[in-house]
Parts: sequence; C-alpha cells; structure tokens
Amino acid sequence: MQYHRPTTLAEALRLVAEPGARVLAGGTDLVLRMRDGRERPDALVSLGRVAELAGVTLGAGSVRLGARTTLAELVEHEELGRLFPALLEAARVFGSMLVRNLATVGGNLCNASPCSDLAPPLIALGARVELASREARRELPLGDFFVGPRETRLAPGELLTAVVLDRPGPRDRSAFLKHTRVTVDLALVNVAVALELDRGKVARVRAVAGAVGPTPLRLLGIEALVAGQALGPELLAEVGRRAGDEVKPISDVRASAEYRRMLTGVLCKRALATAAAAEVS
Amino acid sequence: MSACAQGGGAPVSHAPADKVRVAFTLNGAPVEVLAAATDRLIDVLRGALGLVGTREGCGAGECGSCTVEVDGRAVPSCILPAREAEGRSITTIEGLGGPGGELDRLQRAFVEHGGVQCGFCTPGMVMAARSLLRRNPHPSPAEIRTALAGNLCRCTGYVQIVAAVDAAGHGADDGGAHG
Repeated sequence: MQYHRPTTLAEALRLVAEPGARVLAGGTDLVLRMRDGRERPDALVSLGRVAELAGVTLGAGSVRLGARTTLAELVEHEELGRLFPALLEAARVFGSMLVRNLATVGGNLCNASPCSDLAPPLIALGARVELASREARRELPLGDFFVGPRETRLAPGELLTAVVLDRPGPRDRSAFLKHTRVTVDLALVNVAVALELDRGKVARVRAVAGAVGPTPLRLLGIEALVAGQALGPELLAEVGRRAGDEVKPISDVRASAEYRRMLTGVLCKRALATAAAAEVS
Repeated sequence: MSACAQGGGAPVSHAPADKVRVAFTLNGAPVEVLAAATDRLIDVLRGALGLVGTREGCGAGECGSCTVEVDGRAVPSCILPAREAEGRSITTIEGLGGPGGELDRLQRAFVEHGGVQCGFCTPGMVMAARSLLRRNPHPSPAEIRTALAGNLCRCTGYVQIVAAVDAAGHGADDGGAHG
C-alpha cells in the first residue's frame, strides 16, 4: 500500500484520482476498517498537510469549514458556537476529547454514517458541500449529499474540500439534541432544528433527524406543521406525537425501532422548544 | 540528540521497500524511525523506539490507554498512522517530569490522590489530563470528567483520578509545595 502526504490541493486531487486510492483524514474510522480487513486500499492519500483544507474561515456572508477542520477546532472556535448553536452542541458531544482531536468535518460527512452527529445540524443549517476533482468543482446542498449508509454522491476522483454555511440572520435560531446510553456513545437518535422566528412565529424551519434511517432525514411533515405557527405547548405536543411517523428506524443492538420513533418525537419537540426559547432569553 | 531507531537491527539506509523514514520530535528530541504504511504511531513508539509507557488497550481509539500528545493535543496513538507523525512533536508519558525521574505536578497529584491502582490506564489518563490543563488550566470537576470520558479505568471509580486532576489544576505553580 502506498502512503501519500500531499502538501497542496492540486497534488491531493491528482492522487485521489488514481484507481484504488482512499482519502485519509482523521483516520478514526478508516484506520479501524483497514485493520480488520474491511478496507484494502492500494493507496492512502493523507490530507494532513494540505493547507487549503484546514480551518474555519469567517467570511462576510458565509462561513467555510475546511474539510480537515477537526471537531475539537469547532468546539474551541470563538465565534462559531454563537453563530450556530446546533453545530457547537453536536461537536461538543461528538465522541471523546481524544477522538475530537483527530476526527474531521470532511471525514465524518464522507463516511456517511447514518448516525453522524454533524450531518443533521449542518443540513438543518442549510450547509452546502464543496466538491473538487482535477477537472471540476461543484457545490451541493448537504441534504442531497447522502445516498445511503457509507454512500454519498462523491464521484470517483472527487474530494470534499469544505462545508459552507450562510451567516445566520438576527432571528435565526438552532438547536441539537442527542440521546445516548452512556456519555461517549453513538446516537440512538439525534435531532437538529434551525428556524427563523418572526414576531414569535416560525417563518422558516428545517428539522433533521439522524440514526433513524439510511441517511439523515428531513422531517418535512413537522416543518409544514410548525411553519407560520407560534411554538406553543399544544403544537409542541403534536410535534412529539407525529415526528416519529416520519422516520424509518431499524432495531439494532442500541435500540428498537419503536423506541427510536418515540425518541424522535421527544427530541424534536425539545429541540424546537430549545431553539425558540433562545429568542426570549 | 538524534536517535536513529529501527526494528530488526536493519540499518536505516537499507530500508525495506515498504518502509520509509519518518522524522519527528519525540519528547523534545529529534528521532527518525522506519515505518510501514500500515504502522500506527503506537507500533513505532513501543517497538522501534522502546517506549512502553504508552499502553495498547482496545486498539480501536475507545479506551484512551494509548494516549499521547501530538503538537500538544491528546490523541489515541492506536489509530494514528505512524506516517502522520512526520514533522510533528510527540510527547509520551516518558517525556514528563525531570531528567532525574522527578515527577511533574500532575504526576505527583495522581500519586498523592491515589489515582493509580493497577496503572495500566494511568499514562493515558495523565496525557489526556495534561492536554486538558494545557487549554483549560483550572477545569471544573465536570470539565475534567468530560475531558477524560474517553479514558477508561477498570480499577477505580474515577473519583481519585478526577481529584488528582482537580488538584493539579488548582494547586500551586509547578515546583511549589503540594498536598
């Protein structure tokens, strides 16, 4: 197996286009998959030295998260958490400190685990992914990026270079909630919501649930239910009853499908309440 | 001092085709080792470099026993490819304390608070706590527990470990009287 450590994006893209090449970011998943033989790449292309892919850049209208930004960098960033509370909370409860020091934004998204903690908040926040190959660059809404477990719309030879978020407006709110059995654990269910409140009513909303389907799922029925409404106790109770109908969970070692449906309702209700309360506090 | 270490006694200049030289700073001194693409940092630390204070527990980045600092950040060395060490600064448990084997303040706090039983997890605990204190010199007990959540100890109830880190974070400056 070859091991490449390119220093420029152009060099990385050339190497990624080689047949049998696999991109190595933080390695928290890929290294384990290689060790037990589930992956046998001919070459690893480490992104560890590619400066173009590093760090958080705050622009005038948007915020760019370089693909190899670590989860720890998200947590420690001075501004990011204020702009995107849902993203900060997801990063904060992502793995252990040791894993957060290695795991990257791009690695987590390209891994396309159904229980990713980053994907739901980023989708709810309207994030786009920048994809580059030797030939072309394109941008895709993150909500369209996932195809199934470990399957994305990345074409052969393509690399996710960054995640781009619009800066929130003054009435934008977001929240993320995750339910686990123990502190450091994969989500049984996670829910992220991002909404704009206009005079107490929901002007715009996205609600996304993770670990309850092959990809993170938009809760479109819930979004329609709360659009234009004030998030009062009765409406939130209705959200709690209905959100579970919109997801497609499986039963596995962590939880039953029924439990996951119930949790989806509870977390969605609470996430909306949390996000909305941020306005009055 | 530049140490040139390699497995199997083969000179570095006759590196097997699948191994390359990896040069990095280890506990303050430059080192160079041969590493295969599949070698992890813990493999070269414990193997070629003979530093066995870093322990391998789960081998999957879940238990924290293998924690070392890379450029001042605690990471599990069992899932970090050795090649990623190139050009970086690695600190292992052997890099702590004084030249005569004196313990540093954090290590002393572990001893004084009984934060050690069988000792297997201890180097990883100390390295993770050190990384926490670097960023947050006076953490609350809750912050300590959050930071050490990825380090498993199967002997203690973690109470003494948290107390040790708390003491190190709230004690006198390093070198001062303690306990």
